[in-house]
Amino acid sequence: MSEIFLQRVESCAADAKTKVTKLRDHEFLIEVEQEYVKPLIMKLWNDGITRRLSTITGLDSGQKLGIVYHFWQNDDVLHVRTTVPKTNATAVSIVEIIPGAILYEMEIHDMFGVTFAGNPWMDKKLLLPETWPDDLPPPLLKTSKPAEIRKRLKLEVENK
Amino acid sequence: MSETEKKVESAGLMKYSTENLVPFGPIHPALKEPEYFKLVLEGEKIVEVIPRIGYVHRGLENAAESRPWVQNMYMFERTCGICSFVHSLCYGQAVEGLTMYEVPKRAKYIRLIVAELERIHSHLLWVGLMGHWAGFETLFMWVWRDREIVLDIVEAISGNRVHKSMNAFCGVRRDMPENMDDRIVEKMKYLADRARYYREIIDTEETMLERTEKVGKVTADTAEKLCAVGPMARYVGIQHDIRLNDPYAAYDEVPFSIVTRNEGDVQGLLRLRLDEILVSTELVTYAVKHLPEGPIRVKIPPIIPAGEHSSHCEAPRGEIFYYVKSTGGRTPDRVKSRQPTMANLPTALEMLKGQTIADVPIVLTAIDPCFGCMDRMSFLDTETNRTWTWSGEQLRQYGIKYYKQRRT
Repeated sequence: MSEIFLQRVESCAADAKTKVTKLRDHEFLIEVEQEYVKPLIMKLWNDGITRRLSTITGLDSGQKLGIVYHFWQNDDVLHVRTTVPKTNATAVSIVEIIPGAILYEMEIHDMFGVTFAGNPWMDKKLLLPETWPDDLPPPLLKTSKPAEIRKRLKLEVENK
Repeated sequence: MSETEKKVESAGLMKYSTENLVPFGPIHPALKEPEYFKLVLEGEKIVEVIPRIGYVHRGLENAAESRPWVQNMYMFERTCGICSFVHSLCYGQAVEGLTMYEVPKRAKYIRLIVAELERIHSHLLWVGLMGHWAGFETLFMWVWRDREIVLDIVEAISGNRVHKSMNAFCGVRRDMPENMDDRIVEKMKYLADRARYYREIIDTEETMLERTEKVGKVTADTAEKLCAVGPMARYVGIQHDIRLNDPYAAYDEVPFSIVTRNEGDVQGLLRLRLDEILVSTELVTYAVKHLPEGPIRVKIPPIIPAGEHSSHCEAPRGEIFYYVKSTGGRTPDRVKSRQPTMANLPTALEMLKGQTIADVPIVLTAIDPCFGCMDRMSFLDTETNRTWTWSGEQLRQYGIKYYKQRRT
Protein backbone atom coordinates (compact mmCIF):
# COMPACT_ATOMS: atom_id res chain seq x y z
CA MET A 1 0.00 0.00 0.00
CA SER A 2 2.80 2.30 0.93
CA GLU A 3 4.18 2.77 -2.58
CA ILE A 4 0.85 3.64 -4.18
CA PHE A 5 0.16 6.05 -1.33
CA LEU A 6 3.58 7.67 -1.74
CA GLN A 7 3.12 8.08 -5.50
CA ARG A 8 -0.25 9.75 -5.06
CA VAL A 9 1.06 12.04 -2.30
CA GLU A 10 4.10 12.94 -4.42
CA SER A 11 1.91 14.05 -7.31
CA CYS A 12 -0.02 16.32 -4.90
CA ALA A 13 3.22 17.68 -3.42
CA ALA A 14 4.55 18.51 -6.90
CA ASP A 15 1.52 20.79 -7.45
CA ALA A 16 2.30 22.54 -4.17
CA LYS A 17 5.95 23.02 -5.30
CA THR A 18 7.42 20.90 -2.54
CA LYS A 19 8.73 17.39 -1.89
CA VAL A 20 7.84 14.42 0.25
CA THR A 21 10.37 13.35 2.88
CA LYS A 22 10.32 9.79 4.13
CA LEU A 23 10.77 9.81 7.92
CA ARG A 24 10.49 6.05 8.50
CA ASP A 25 8.59 3.15 7.00
CA HIS A 26 5.00 4.24 6.39
CA GLU A 27 5.65 7.75 7.74
CA PHE A 28 6.01 10.75 5.43
CA LEU A 29 6.43 14.50 5.84
CA ILE A 30 5.55 17.37 3.50
CA GLU A 31 6.85 20.83 4.32
CA VAL A 32 4.78 23.39 2.48
CA GLU A 33 4.43 27.17 2.20
CA GLN A 34 1.36 28.68 3.88
CA GLU A 35 -0.28 29.71 0.56
CA TYR A 36 -0.25 26.13 -0.78
CA VAL A 37 -1.66 24.46 2.35
CA LYS A 38 -5.32 24.73 1.42
CA PRO A 39 -5.00 23.57 -2.22
CA LEU A 40 -2.77 20.67 -1.10
CA ILE A 41 -5.14 19.47 1.63
CA MET A 42 -8.12 19.93 -0.68
CA LYS A 43 -6.48 17.65 -3.24
CA LEU A 44 -5.46 15.07 -0.61
CA TRP A 45 -8.93 14.98 0.90
CA ASN A 46 -11.18 15.31 -2.16
CA ASP A 47 -9.22 12.79 -4.25
CA GLY A 48 -9.56 10.30 -1.40
CA ILE A 49 -5.79 9.92 -0.91
CA THR A 50 -6.40 10.36 2.78
CA ARG A 51 -9.77 10.73 4.51
CA ARG A 52 -8.52 10.59 8.08
CA LEU A 53 -7.29 13.65 9.97
CA SER A 54 -5.89 12.75 13.39
CA THR A 55 -5.35 16.26 14.67
CA ILE A 56 -3.53 19.53 14.09
CA THR A 57 -0.48 20.30 16.24
CA GLY A 58 0.93 23.71 17.01
CA LEU A 59 4.70 24.01 17.51
CA ASP A 60 6.82 26.82 18.87
CA SER A 61 10.14 26.51 17.05
CA GLY A 62 11.82 29.71 18.20
CA GLN A 63 11.58 32.26 15.39
CA LYS A 64 8.40 30.90 13.85
CA LEU A 65 5.31 28.92 14.76
CA GLY A 66 4.76 25.57 13.13
CA ILE A 67 1.42 23.99 12.29
CA VAL A 68 1.39 20.26 11.57
CA TYR A 69 -1.61 18.45 10.08
CA HIS A 70 -1.51 14.73 10.87
CA PHE A 71 -3.23 12.52 8.29
CA TRP A 72 -3.33 8.76 8.00
CA GLN A 73 -4.76 6.18 5.64
CA ASN A 74 -4.50 2.47 6.34
CA ASP A 75 -0.98 1.95 7.71
CA ASP A 76 0.51 5.13 6.22
CA VAL A 77 0.94 8.34 8.20
CA LEU A 78 1.41 11.73 6.55
CA HIS A 79 2.41 14.95 8.29
CA VAL A 80 1.87 18.24 6.47
CA ARG A 81 3.91 20.99 8.10
CA THR A 82 3.72 24.71 7.50
CA THR A 83 5.05 27.77 9.33
CA VAL A 84 3.59 31.13 10.24
CA PRO A 85 5.36 34.20 11.69
CA LYS A 86 5.09 34.75 15.44
CA THR A 87 3.72 38.29 15.33
CA ASN A 88 0.19 38.60 13.93
CA ALA A 89 0.14 34.88 13.26
CA THR A 90 -2.51 34.15 10.64
CA ALA A 91 -3.06 30.84 8.89
CA VAL A 92 -5.64 29.68 6.41
CA SER A 93 -8.50 27.56 7.80
CA ILE A 94 -9.33 24.16 6.33
CA VAL A 95 -12.80 24.00 7.91
CA GLU A 96 -14.42 24.37 4.46
CA ILE A 97 -12.77 21.15 3.33
CA ILE A 98 -12.79 19.21 6.63
CA PRO A 99 -15.51 20.55 8.99
CA GLY A 100 -14.19 18.29 11.76
CA ALA A 101 -11.03 20.41 11.99
CA ILE A 102 -12.93 23.27 13.64
CA LEU A 103 -12.08 22.35 17.26
CA TYR A 104 -8.44 21.57 16.45
CA GLU A 105 -8.03 25.05 14.93
CA MET A 106 -9.74 26.64 17.93
CA GLU A 107 -7.33 24.80 20.22
CA ILE A 108 -4.28 26.20 18.37
CA HIS A 109 -5.90 29.63 18.41
CA ASP A 110 -6.21 29.39 22.21
CA MET A 111 -2.82 27.89 22.89
CA PHE A 112 -0.57 29.62 20.31
CA GLY A 113 -2.56 32.69 19.28
CA VAL A 114 -2.74 31.72 15.60
CA THR A 115 -5.82 33.15 13.87
CA PHE A 116 -7.31 30.86 11.24
CA ALA A 117 -8.91 32.94 8.48
CA GLY A 118 -12.20 31.30 7.52
CA ASN A 119 -12.95 29.51 10.82
CA PRO A 120 -16.38 30.76 12.00
CA TRP A 121 -15.66 30.24 15.71
CA MET A 122 -12.44 32.28 15.98
CA ASP A 123 -14.16 34.77 18.29
CA LYS A 124 -14.87 32.07 20.88
CA LYS A 125 -12.61 30.39 23.39
CA LEU A 126 -12.45 26.60 23.55
CA LEU A 127 -10.04 25.68 26.33
CA LEU A 128 -9.09 28.99 27.92
CA PRO A 129 -11.50 30.82 30.23
CA GLU A 130 -13.55 33.60 28.66
CA THR A 131 -11.98 36.01 31.14
CA TRP A 132 -8.51 35.36 29.69
CA PRO A 133 -6.90 38.84 29.44
CA ASP A 134 -6.03 39.85 25.86
CA ASP A 135 -2.58 41.12 26.79
CA LEU A 136 -1.43 37.79 28.25
CA PRO A 137 0.70 35.73 25.86
CA PRO A 138 -0.81 32.43 24.62
CA PRO A 139 0.07 29.78 27.24
CA LEU A 140 1.93 27.19 25.16
CA LEU A 141 4.50 29.60 23.70
CA LYS A 142 7.98 28.89 25.07
CA THR A 143 8.21 32.46 26.36
CA SER A 144 5.06 32.10 28.50
CA LYS A 145 5.59 31.33 32.16
CA PRO A 146 2.84 29.29 33.88
CA ALA A 147 3.55 30.88 37.29
CA GLU A 148 3.03 34.40 35.89
CA ILE A 149 -0.17 33.37 34.14
CA ARG A 150 -1.53 31.83 37.33
CA LYS A 151 -0.69 34.98 39.30
CA ARG A 152 -2.35 37.22 36.74
CA LEU A 153 -5.52 35.11 36.49
CA LYS A 154 -5.79 35.09 40.28
CA LEU A 155 -5.56 38.90 40.25
CA GLU A 156 -8.33 39.09 37.62
CA VAL A 157 -10.63 37.02 39.82
CA GLU A 158 -9.86 39.09 42.92
CA ASN A 159 -10.52 42.35 41.08
CA LYS A 160 -13.91 41.19 39.91
CA MET B 1 -25.29 35.04 8.27
CA SER B 2 -27.34 31.85 8.34
CA GLU B 3 -30.91 31.58 9.62
CA THR B 4 -29.82 29.87 12.83
CA GLU B 5 -27.06 32.37 13.48
CA LYS B 6 -29.56 35.22 13.14
CA LYS B 7 -31.81 33.51 15.63
CA VAL B 8 -28.96 32.94 18.04
CA GLU B 9 -27.97 36.58 17.84
CA SER B 10 -31.49 37.95 18.14
CA ALA B 11 -32.06 35.73 21.15
CA GLY B 12 -29.12 37.38 22.84
CA LEU B 13 -27.16 34.16 23.13
CA MET B 14 -23.90 35.83 22.14
CA LYS B 15 -24.30 38.19 25.05
CA TYR B 16 -25.48 35.34 27.23
CA SER B 17 -22.53 33.12 26.35
CA THR B 18 -19.97 35.58 27.62
CA GLU B 19 -21.87 36.41 30.77
CA ASN B 20 -22.84 32.92 31.86
CA LEU B 21 -19.66 31.53 33.27
CA VAL B 22 -19.25 28.16 34.92
CA PRO B 23 -15.93 28.48 36.72
CA PHE B 24 -15.34 24.73 37.10
CA GLY B 25 -17.29 21.81 35.85
CA PRO B 26 -18.51 19.12 38.20
CA ILE B 27 -15.34 17.38 39.28
CA HIS B 28 -15.29 13.69 40.07
CA PRO B 29 -12.37 11.24 40.08
CA ALA B 30 -13.98 9.31 37.23
CA LEU B 31 -14.30 12.29 34.89
CA LYS B 32 -11.81 13.43 32.38
CA GLU B 33 -13.56 16.27 30.62
CA PRO B 34 -16.67 17.96 31.93
CA GLU B 35 -18.19 19.60 28.90
CA TYR B 36 -20.74 22.34 28.75
CA PHE B 37 -23.22 22.65 25.92
CA LYS B 38 -25.53 25.52 25.12
CA LEU B 39 -28.59 24.19 23.38
CA VAL B 40 -30.67 26.51 21.22
CA LEU B 41 -34.25 25.25 21.16
CA GLU B 42 -37.31 25.75 19.07
CA GLY B 43 -40.04 24.55 21.39
CA GLU B 44 -38.94 21.03 22.23
CA LYS B 45 -36.51 20.64 19.32
CA ILE B 46 -32.80 21.39 19.36
CA VAL B 47 -31.66 23.60 16.50
CA GLU B 48 -28.13 24.51 17.51
CA VAL B 49 -25.56 23.37 20.03
CA ILE B 50 -22.58 25.41 21.16
CA PRO B 51 -19.95 23.42 23.07
CA ARG B 52 -17.75 24.77 25.80
CA ILE B 53 -14.98 22.50 27.06
CA GLY B 54 -11.80 22.96 29.01
CA TYR B 55 -13.04 23.22 32.58
CA VAL B 56 -10.56 20.65 33.77
CA HIS B 57 -7.84 21.59 31.30
CA ARG B 58 -4.78 21.13 33.48
CA GLY B 59 -2.10 22.09 30.97
CA LEU B 60 -0.58 18.61 30.70
CA GLU B 61 1.12 19.45 27.40
CA ASN B 62 2.89 22.37 29.01
CA ALA B 63 3.71 20.35 32.14
CA ALA B 64 5.25 17.60 29.99
CA GLU B 65 7.85 20.03 28.65
CA SER B 66 9.44 20.41 32.07
CA ARG B 67 9.36 16.75 33.19
CA PRO B 68 11.67 13.85 32.36
CA TRP B 69 10.55 11.49 29.60
CA VAL B 70 9.71 8.63 31.91
CA GLN B 71 7.78 10.76 34.40
CA ASN B 72 5.56 11.96 31.58
CA MET B 73 4.43 8.41 30.87
CA TYR B 74 2.78 8.15 34.27
CA MET B 75 1.46 11.69 34.06
CA PHE B 76 -0.25 11.05 30.73
CA GLU B 77 -1.72 7.86 32.14
CA ARG B 78 -3.68 10.12 34.47
CA THR B 79 -5.33 11.94 31.56
CA CYS B 80 -8.30 9.61 31.88
CA GLY B 81 -9.78 7.68 34.77
CA ILE B 82 -11.27 4.98 32.57
CA CYS B 83 -8.98 4.26 29.64
CA SER B 84 -5.72 5.11 31.38
CA PHE B 85 -3.49 2.32 30.05
CA VAL B 86 -3.89 3.18 26.38
CA HIS B 87 -2.59 6.74 26.99
CA SER B 88 0.69 5.53 28.41
CA LEU B 89 0.86 2.91 25.66
CA CYS B 90 0.43 5.49 22.91
CA TYR B 91 2.89 7.97 24.45
CA GLY B 92 5.32 5.11 25.03
CA GLN B 93 5.09 3.97 21.41
CA ALA B 94 5.68 7.52 20.16
CA VAL B 95 8.87 7.76 22.27
CA GLU B 96 10.01 4.20 21.44
CA GLY B 97 9.89 5.20 17.76
CA LEU B 98 12.66 7.72 18.42
CA THR B 99 14.97 5.12 19.97
CA MET B 100 16.54 2.09 18.30
CA TYR B 101 15.30 -0.43 20.86
CA GLU B 102 12.72 -3.12 20.10
CA VAL B 103 9.86 -4.06 22.40
CA PRO B 104 10.10 -7.76 23.47
CA LYS B 105 7.38 -10.01 22.09
CA ARG B 106 6.05 -11.05 25.50
CA ALA B 107 5.63 -7.39 26.49
CA LYS B 108 3.62 -6.79 23.31
CA TYR B 109 1.22 -9.58 24.25
CA ILE B 110 0.86 -8.33 27.82
CA ARG B 111 0.12 -4.85 26.46
CA LEU B 112 -2.59 -6.34 24.25
CA ILE B 113 -4.15 -8.25 27.16
CA VAL B 114 -4.32 -5.20 29.43
CA ALA B 115 -5.57 -2.94 26.61
CA GLU B 116 -8.36 -5.37 25.77
CA LEU B 117 -9.35 -5.85 29.43
CA GLU B 118 -9.56 -2.09 29.64
CA ARG B 119 -11.80 -2.03 26.57
CA ILE B 120 -14.17 -4.57 28.12
CA HIS B 121 -14.28 -2.57 31.35
CA SER B 122 -14.88 0.72 29.54
CA HIS B 123 -17.60 -0.70 27.26
CA LEU B 124 -19.40 -2.38 30.19
CA LEU B 125 -19.30 0.89 32.10
CA TRP B 126 -20.84 2.62 29.09
CA VAL B 127 -23.61 0.03 28.59
CA GLY B 128 -24.51 0.42 32.27
CA LEU B 129 -24.66 4.20 31.94
CA MET B 130 -26.89 3.92 28.87
CA GLY B 131 -29.28 1.83 30.99
CA HIS B 132 -29.13 4.44 33.76
CA TRP B 133 -29.93 7.38 31.47
CA ALA B 134 -32.73 5.46 29.75
CA GLY B 135 -34.35 4.72 33.12
CA PHE B 136 -33.46 1.00 33.03
CA GLU B 137 -31.69 0.72 36.39
CA THR B 138 -31.64 -3.07 36.45
CA LEU B 139 -29.38 -3.16 33.41
CA PHE B 140 -27.10 -0.63 35.09
CA MET B 141 -26.79 -2.76 38.23
CA TRP B 142 -26.19 -6.01 36.36
CA VAL B 143 -23.62 -4.60 33.98
CA TRP B 144 -21.66 -2.84 36.70
CA ARG B 145 -21.62 -6.02 38.74
CA ASP B 146 -20.03 -7.83 35.80
CA ARG B 147 -17.57 -4.99 35.37
CA GLU B 148 -16.12 -5.86 38.77
CA ILE B 149 -14.91 -9.17 37.31
CA VAL B 150 -12.74 -7.35 34.77
CA LEU B 151 -11.47 -4.94 37.38
CA ASP B 152 -10.50 -7.87 39.62
CA ILE B 153 -8.47 -9.42 36.81
CA VAL B 154 -6.82 -6.08 36.07
CA GLU B 155 -5.98 -5.74 39.76
CA ALA B 156 -4.49 -9.22 39.85
CA ILE B 157 -2.29 -8.42 36.84
CA SER B 158 -1.22 -4.88 37.62
CA GLY B 159 -1.94 -4.35 41.30
CA ASN B 160 -4.39 -1.55 40.59
CA ARG B 161 -7.93 -1.22 39.33
CA VAL B 162 -7.74 1.90 37.22
CA HIS B 163 -4.28 3.48 36.99
CA LYS B 164 -2.38 0.36 36.09
CA SER B 165 1.10 1.90 35.58
CA MET B 166 1.97 -1.22 33.59
CA ASN B 167 3.90 0.43 30.78
CA ALA B 168 7.54 1.29 30.64
CA PHE B 169 9.59 2.37 27.62
CA CYS B 170 10.22 -0.73 25.48
CA GLY B 171 8.29 -3.13 27.67
CA VAL B 172 6.01 -3.52 30.65
CA ARG B 173 6.82 -3.24 34.35
CA ARG B 174 5.09 -6.37 35.59
CA ASP B 175 4.91 -9.89 34.23
CA MET B 176 1.64 -11.80 34.10
CA PRO B 177 0.92 -13.47 37.46
CA GLU B 178 1.49 -17.22 37.60
CA ASN B 179 -1.40 -19.70 37.48
CA MET B 180 -3.85 -17.05 36.35
CA ASP B 181 -4.42 -18.36 32.80
CA ASP B 182 -7.26 -20.73 33.60
CA ARG B 183 -9.02 -18.19 35.75
CA ILE B 184 -8.81 -15.50 33.05
CA VAL B 185 -10.06 -17.88 30.34
CA GLU B 186 -12.96 -18.98 32.53
CA LYS B 187 -13.94 -15.40 33.40
CA MET B 188 -13.71 -14.33 29.76
CA LYS B 189 -16.11 -17.14 28.85
CA TYR B 190 -18.51 -15.94 31.52
CA LEU B 191 -18.27 -12.33 30.34
CA ALA B 192 -18.89 -13.37 26.73
CA ASP B 193 -22.05 -15.18 27.85
CA ARG B 194 -23.17 -12.09 29.74
CA ALA B 195 -22.48 -9.85 26.72
CA ARG B 196 -24.64 -12.17 24.55
CA TYR B 197 -27.38 -11.97 27.15
CA TYR B 198 -27.27 -8.16 27.28
CA ARG B 199 -27.36 -8.13 23.50
CA GLU B 200 -30.58 -10.12 23.66
CA ILE B 201 -32.01 -7.68 26.23
CA ILE B 202 -31.34 -4.55 24.20
CA ASP B 203 -32.75 -6.22 21.08
CA THR B 204 -36.03 -7.13 22.77
CA GLU B 205 -36.58 -4.91 25.81
CA GLU B 206 -39.09 -2.19 24.98
CA THR B 207 -37.63 0.55 27.18
CA MET B 208 -34.30 0.37 25.42
CA LEU B 209 -35.76 0.04 21.92
CA GLU B 210 -38.04 3.02 22.39
CA ARG B 211 -35.30 5.25 23.75
CA THR B 212 -32.56 4.33 21.28
CA GLU B 213 -34.07 3.45 17.91
CA LYS B 214 -33.76 6.21 15.26
CA VAL B 215 -32.24 8.53 17.89
CA GLY B 216 -29.07 10.41 17.03
CA LYS B 217 -29.01 9.70 13.30
CA VAL B 218 -25.84 10.53 11.37
CA THR B 219 -24.82 9.54 7.83
CA ALA B 220 -21.48 7.96 6.99
CA ASP B 221 -20.45 10.95 4.87
CA THR B 222 -21.12 13.42 7.71
CA ALA B 223 -19.27 11.29 10.24
CA GLU B 224 -16.24 11.04 7.94
CA LYS B 225 -16.16 14.78 7.28
CA LEU B 226 -16.50 15.54 10.99
CA CYS B 227 -13.51 13.26 11.69
CA ALA B 228 -15.44 10.82 13.90
CA VAL B 229 -13.27 8.08 15.40
CA GLY B 230 -13.71 4.61 16.86
CA PRO B 231 -17.23 3.29 17.55
CA MET B 232 -18.68 6.59 16.34
CA ALA B 233 -17.27 5.89 12.88
CA ARG B 234 -17.88 2.14 12.93
CA TYR B 235 -21.59 2.46 13.72
CA VAL B 236 -22.19 4.13 10.36
CA GLY B 237 -20.17 1.53 8.50
CA ILE B 238 -16.73 3.19 8.24
CA GLN B 239 -13.82 0.76 8.68
CA HIS B 240 -12.04 2.86 11.27
CA ASP B 241 -10.10 0.77 13.76
CA ILE B 242 -6.40 1.40 14.35
CA ARG B 243 -5.99 -2.17 15.66
CA LEU B 244 -6.70 -3.41 12.14
CA ASN B 245 -5.68 -0.42 9.98
CA ASP B 246 -2.29 0.19 11.54
CA PRO B 247 -1.57 -2.67 13.99
CA TYR B 248 0.46 -1.96 17.11
CA ALA B 249 1.40 -4.11 20.13
CA ALA B 250 0.66 -7.74 19.11
CA TYR B 251 -2.46 -7.02 17.04
CA ASP B 252 -0.72 -8.11 13.83
CA GLU B 253 -0.13 -11.59 15.30
CA VAL B 254 -3.56 -12.43 16.73
CA PRO B 255 -6.59 -13.29 14.61
CA PHE B 256 -9.57 -10.97 15.05
CA SER B 257 -12.12 -9.03 13.07
CA ILE B 258 -13.59 -5.62 13.78
CA VAL B 259 -17.31 -4.95 14.12
CA THR B 260 -19.10 -2.41 11.93
CA ARG B 261 -22.82 -1.68 11.75
CA ASN B 262 -25.04 0.30 9.43
CA GLU B 263 -27.95 1.50 11.56
CA GLY B 264 -26.40 4.87 12.32
CA ASP B 265 -28.46 5.39 15.48
CA VAL B 266 -27.91 4.88 19.21
CA GLN B 267 -29.38 1.36 19.02
CA GLY B 268 -26.62 0.49 16.54
CA LEU B 269 -24.01 1.85 18.94
CA LEU B 270 -25.31 -0.38 21.74
CA ARG B 271 -25.16 -3.49 19.53
CA LEU B 272 -21.71 -2.50 18.25
CA ARG B 273 -20.18 -2.03 21.69
CA LEU B 274 -21.66 -5.28 23.02
CA ASP B 275 -20.31 -7.15 19.98
CA GLU B 276 -16.93 -5.54 20.58
CA ILE B 277 -16.90 -6.95 24.11
CA LEU B 278 -17.21 -10.42 22.54
CA VAL B 279 -14.27 -9.72 20.21
CA SER B 280 -12.20 -8.45 23.14
CA THR B 281 -12.90 -11.54 25.27
CA GLU B 282 -11.75 -13.73 22.37
CA LEU B 283 -8.61 -11.62 21.95
CA VAL B 284 -7.72 -11.88 25.65
CA THR B 285 -8.33 -15.64 25.66
CA TYR B 286 -6.15 -16.14 22.58
CA ALA B 287 -3.36 -13.93 23.89
CA VAL B 288 -3.31 -15.63 27.30
CA LYS B 289 -3.11 -19.07 25.69
CA HIS B 290 -0.40 -18.05 23.19
CA LEU B 291 1.69 -15.84 25.48
CA PRO B 292 5.31 -16.20 24.29
CA GLU B 293 8.18 -16.75 26.70
CA GLY B 294 11.00 -14.26 27.09
CA PRO B 295 11.95 -10.96 28.69
CA ILE B 296 9.28 -8.35 29.35
CA ARG B 297 11.41 -5.26 29.18
CA VAL B 298 14.49 -3.65 27.64
CA LYS B 299 16.10 -0.89 29.69
CA ILE B 300 16.77 2.27 27.72
CA PRO B 301 18.86 5.35 28.61
CA PRO B 302 16.96 8.39 30.00
CA ILE B 303 18.04 10.64 27.10
CA ILE B 304 15.93 10.23 23.97
CA PRO B 305 17.61 11.05 20.61
CA ALA B 306 16.46 14.17 18.73
CA GLY B 307 13.64 13.79 16.28
CA GLU B 308 9.88 13.74 16.04
CA HIS B 309 7.46 10.88 15.98
CA SER B 310 3.75 10.27 16.25
CA SER B 311 1.73 7.28 17.34
CA HIS B 312 -1.94 6.41 17.35
CA CYS B 313 -3.82 3.64 19.19
CA GLU B 314 -7.37 2.41 19.42
CA ALA B 315 -8.70 3.44 22.83
CA PRO B 316 -12.15 2.16 23.86
CA ARG B 317 -13.61 5.46 22.64
CA GLY B 318 -11.67 5.65 19.39
CA GLU B 319 -8.34 6.75 18.04
CA ILE B 320 -6.00 8.51 20.45
CA PHE B 321 -3.03 10.34 19.07
CA TYR B 322 0.33 11.38 20.53
CA TYR B 323 3.02 13.44 18.86
CA VAL B 324 6.41 13.91 20.51
CA LYS B 325 9.32 16.13 19.53
CA SER B 326 12.74 15.70 21.09
CA THR B 327 15.80 17.93 20.89
CA GLY B 328 17.97 15.25 22.45
CA GLY B 329 17.53 16.31 26.07
CA ARG B 330 16.16 14.82 29.24
CA THR B 331 12.75 16.43 28.70
CA PRO B 332 10.57 16.55 25.58
CA ASP B 333 10.44 19.70 23.48
CA ARG B 334 6.75 19.22 22.72
CA VAL B 335 4.13 16.57 23.40
CA LYS B 336 0.73 16.78 21.77
CA SER B 337 -2.08 14.51 22.83
CA ARG B 338 -5.51 14.26 21.30
CA GLN B 339 -8.29 12.28 22.97
CA PRO B 340 -11.19 10.60 21.17
CA THR B 341 -13.91 12.68 22.85
CA MET B 342 -12.40 15.79 21.29
CA ALA B 343 -12.59 14.19 17.84
CA ASN B 344 -16.14 12.91 18.40
CA LEU B 345 -17.56 16.15 19.73
CA PRO B 346 -18.51 17.69 16.33
CA THR B 347 -20.34 14.46 15.44
CA ALA B 348 -22.18 14.46 18.78
CA LEU B 349 -23.33 18.04 18.14
CA GLU B 350 -24.62 16.93 14.73
CA MET B 351 -26.45 14.01 16.37
CA LEU B 352 -28.18 16.35 18.82
CA LYS B 353 -29.64 18.62 16.14
CA GLY B 354 -33.28 17.81 15.52
CA GLN B 355 -33.63 15.75 18.71
CA THR B 356 -35.82 16.67 21.67
CA ILE B 357 -34.49 17.68 25.09
CA ALA B 358 -35.58 14.28 26.39
CA ASP B 359 -33.03 12.61 24.10
CA VAL B 360 -30.08 14.75 25.18
CA PRO B 361 -28.81 12.43 27.96
CA ILE B 362 -28.97 9.38 25.70
CA VAL B 363 -27.29 11.03 22.73
CA LEU B 364 -24.54 12.67 24.76
CA THR B 365 -23.83 9.43 26.62
CA ALA B 366 -23.84 7.60 23.30
CA ILE B 367 -20.51 9.13 22.25
CA ASP B 368 -19.12 7.79 25.55
CA PRO B 369 -17.80 11.01 26.99
CA CYS B 370 -16.91 11.09 30.62
CA PHE B 371 -20.26 11.97 32.09
CA GLY B 372 -19.40 15.31 33.63
CA CYS B 373 -20.85 16.97 30.56
CA MET B 374 -24.31 15.95 31.75
CA ASP B 375 -24.17 17.77 34.99
CA ARG B 376 -24.80 21.29 33.95
CA MET B 377 -26.77 22.54 31.00
CA SER B 378 -28.48 25.81 30.20
CA PHE B 379 -31.49 25.92 27.92
CA LEU B 380 -32.65 28.84 25.83
CA ASP B 381 -36.04 28.92 24.15
CA THR B 382 -35.75 31.01 20.96
CA GLU B 383 -39.47 31.72 20.94
CA THR B 384 -39.83 33.13 24.43
CA ASN B 385 -36.20 34.02 25.24
CA ARG B 386 -36.66 32.17 28.52
CA THR B 387 -33.52 30.59 29.96
CA TRP B 388 -33.21 27.98 32.66
CA THR B 389 -30.67 25.54 34.02
CA TRP B 390 -31.10 21.87 34.79
CA SER B 391 -28.86 19.49 36.61
CA GLY B 392 -28.11 16.08 35.11
CA GLU B 393 -30.55 14.35 37.46
CA GLN B 394 -33.41 16.74 36.59
CA LEU B 395 -32.72 16.16 32.90
CA ARG B 396 -32.73 12.37 33.41
CA GLN B 397 -36.05 12.49 35.23
CA TYR B 398 -37.48 14.72 32.49
CA GLY B 399 -36.41 12.26 29.78
CA ILE B 400 -37.99 9.29 31.56
CA LYS B 401 -41.25 11.21 32.23
CA TYR B 402 -41.42 12.45 28.62
CA TYR B 403 -41.26 8.95 27.19
CA LYS B 404 -43.75 7.60 29.76
CA GLN B 405 -46.25 10.30 28.80
CA ARG B 406 -45.72 9.68 25.10
CA ARG B 407 -46.52 6.02 25.57
CA THR B 408 -49.91 6.62 27.20
